[in-house]
Amino acid sequence: MKTQVVDVKNVKKFYGKKGENQSIALNGVSFSIHEGEFVGIMGPSGSGKTTLLNVISTLDHATDGVVQIAGTDITIMKQDQLSDFRSQKLGFIFQDFNLLDNLSIYENIALPLSLQGVPSREIGPKVKKVAETLGISAILSKYPSEVSGGQKQRCAAARALVHEPAIILGDEPTGALDSKNAASLLEAMTNLNDEQGVSIMMVTHDPLSASYCRRILFIQDGELYKEIHRTSTRDAFYKEILDVLAGLGTQKA
Amino acid sequence: MLFKLSMSGLKSKLKDYLVLLVGLVISVSIFYLFQTLALNRAFIEANSVISQIQFVFHAGSVLLAIITFFYILYANSFLLSLRQKEFGMYMMLGAKKRKITVLMFIETIVIGFVSLIIGIALGIGLSQVIGQLLMKELEFTAGGYHAFYVPSIVVTCIFFLVLFMLSAILNSIKLSRVSVLQLVHSDVQAENSFVKGKKTFGIAFLSIILLAIGYAAMLNMATLQQLGIIISLVTTTSGTYLLFMSVLPLIIKKLKANKKRFEKGINAFTFAQLNFRINSLTKVLATVAMLVALGAGAISVGMAFKNNVMIMVEGFNTYDVVTHNPTAEEKNILADIKFDEKYEYHYKVDDQFVYYTKEDLEKQRPIIQTFQDEKSFRKKEKVTGELPVGSIVGLEDQQSGLAVPEEWAFALDTIQPYYLYPDHKIKIIDQKMFGDVKGKEGIAIIGKSDDFQAYMMEWKKIDELQQKKYGNDTNMYSKYRSYQDMYGFASGTIFMGFFLGIAFLAMMASCLMFKILSGATKDISRYQMLRKIGVRSTLLTKSIYKELFLVFLFPAIVGIIHVLVGMEMFSFILIAPYFRVWLPIVIFTVIYASYYCITVQLYKGIVFPKTN
Repeated sequence: MKTQVVDVKNVKKFYGKKGENQSIALNGVSFSIHEGEFVGIMGPSGSGKTTLLNVISTLDHATDGVVQIAGTDITIMKQDQLSDFRSQKLGFIFQDFNLLDNLSIYENIALPLSLQGVPSREIGPKVKKVAETLGISAILSKYPSEVSGGQKQRCAAARALVHEPAIILGDEPTGALDSKNAASLLEAMTNLNDEQGVSIMMVTHDPLSASYCRRILFIQDGELYKEIHRTSTRDAFYKEILDVLAGLGTQKA
Repeated sequence: MLFKLSMSGLKSKLKDYLVLLVGLVISVSIFYLFQTLALNRAFIEANSVISQIQFVFHAGSVLLAIITFFYILYANSFLLSLRQKEFGMYMMLGAKKRKITVLMFIETIVIGFVSLIIGIALGIGLSQVIGQLLMKELEFTAGGYHAFYVPSIVVTCIFFLVLFMLSAILNSIKLSRVSVLQLVHSDVQAENSFVKGKKTFGIAFLSIILLAIGYAAMLNMATLQQLGIIISLVTTTSGTYLLFMSVLPLIIKKLKANKKRFEKGINAFTFAQLNFRINSLTKVLATVAMLVALGAGAISVGMAFKNNVMIMVEGFNTYDVVTHNPTAEEKNILADIKFDEKYEYHYKVDDQFVYYTKEDLEKQRPIIQTFQDEKSFRKKEKVTGELPVGSIVGLEDQQSGLAVPEEWAFALDTIQPYYLYPDHKIKIIDQKMFGDVKGKEGIAIIGKSDDFQAYMMEWKKIDELQQKKYGNDTNMYSKYRSYQDMYGFASGTIFMGFFLGIAFLAMMASCLMFKILSGATKDISRYQMLRKIGVRSTLLTKSIYKELFLVFLFPAIVGIIHVLVGMEMFSFILIAPYFRVWLPIVIFTVIYASYYCITVQLYKGIVFPKTN
């Protein structure tokens, strides 16, 4: 049995003050992700998947429950500890890239390393290596505004990877990409997962994107609704996902 | 309908508009403030020791107009940037371009008008308050200064109406040139325009030549006169602008090129922010540098004139007080003063001479001015040499050997002022002879306190008592009077210096803050992103401090250099223009540093989310 990278126990998240109109975003979610897994999280809008991601990525506090990442309980950490934790253990890929437009691609990718105090002479090779893996070596000296959306997202992926985090968290990473770019990004992520054993958790509402995952958790109304594993081909998994989504739809209606 | 829509759009960006409006209002009121002095010809001519003061003010007006012009243009392009995206959206929904252009035009004019009215009102208030405060502080009571001054209002109105009209037209033209798509995506377009290598070096070289000419003109102001003012004004100003446009991006680039430093911690981001911002900042920073130079310069000149008063007074009078046969009241006052040096000399007066003893004088050798060529004006030493018995002050006949040596004659001038016994000569005798002289005995006291200016009230009182003692017809003379005369002579200039200094510093503050805060909204997402990938907020704060520090640093350095060179201009009228020049510079640094801190706090308030 591989070690757990993420362990979520009975996590609850309420918005608003107690006693008043409290809205429930997460209502006791529990699951865990093991090292080297590629997990997708799906669910309709408002199901709480983004909240879940925010809680795991330490950007938001859980109202109740325990979240452990790489063996550390993040719910009891202080603000600065959380910042350090994010910069060391987590890698982010956002829907809108979130690259800094005033830094070149190279500088963007190098930033997490600089922040951790990696010596300058070690930064160069690391950036180049990760850029090669993601096929963006040629555009390193350009600025984000000068490259395409797909390239931007690869850069974001490179930045998420470069400091070798415990897990990569994706928030709709293909959301702003066309199908070709989306496919190539997902293939790159799959390769990372397969060949380098990088753990990935990705929130998406796109079934095709989700079909690249090994396991998918479905969330509805702040609760875990269903969990499916990929056992055969991606096509078959894709159909399976569609079936579950359809089920979600009818149950709602 | 479109108008209503645009009004609601305006409301949604109220904070940005507030920043804009404050910036404009301040520039209007400072312009007004300046004009209340510049246009009040009678006042400045009556109250200045500089003969060409009128011309200096004209030159200043031109300079201020140039600075204000750039400032207003920048402010209005900011206004345009605020509205671009929204206007683009209206156009996408089918609004006609012409209508949008008109809308933009009207908006610029309306904002200009509002800021003009508020600005003039504020300007009147400010000039009233600053004027009164300074006059009180400087004990300067010349009439003729009007805070509410109609010519100033008229000129300010005309100047700004023209400026706003111009920028409204410019904004409209800019708007009509860009496409709808450009407008809609205006906020994602990076302002990455990098300067080309060779051209930059050319411009940098030119700017340094211009500055050199300007400095040369300032250093030779005495010979060049009005021409010098014009030359230095034109070359220094344009040189400063070119310097910032060419050299500053190069410096930042150099800083960035140091890989080791650049890739350490958050430095990459800090320098990237700077590099990214510097191109749009160059003109504003040059403006700030000029305002720093003007503000700190005006205050330095004011202070130099103030210091000059004391230098002149000290030059003419070594001893703070000279009194003969003090009354009880005088003695009381003297007892409270801490003297560094205080001597008492006994003398006797008969119908021909005032007699002093050799022993008395040689035991208590007073300080005199050594010699009066220009360079050694302030050099002072104790009288040396012997005092021959029987010598007489002011005796023409040198051969008889009875004349008092020159140094001693100077000293006795102080001890026995001419006005006491105008028709008596002073004769030096020895102690034994002194006993035999029949005549009225008296005592002369001279004293030098540890700080002349600390005992102003005491000197004044002694002065009055002495006048009473000697009688009103006596044409009395004292250090206190000499100070009063000198001060009265210079106070008009001191007043103008401080007044303008405050005005320019206020304008500079608003200029810098405005520029930095107006760009802050764009930075929010950058800081948000950095927080997401795990940058500690303390580190982000450090980055902001560092970045803004560099932004503040460059204009301060250039401005202070301008001031230090420019002070030389006044060497023809001031004895020591650089005496205590550190004081205004320290004052300026403190004010500037507090602007820096305030700007950082405001900026942090915008780019960091509120913590709950």
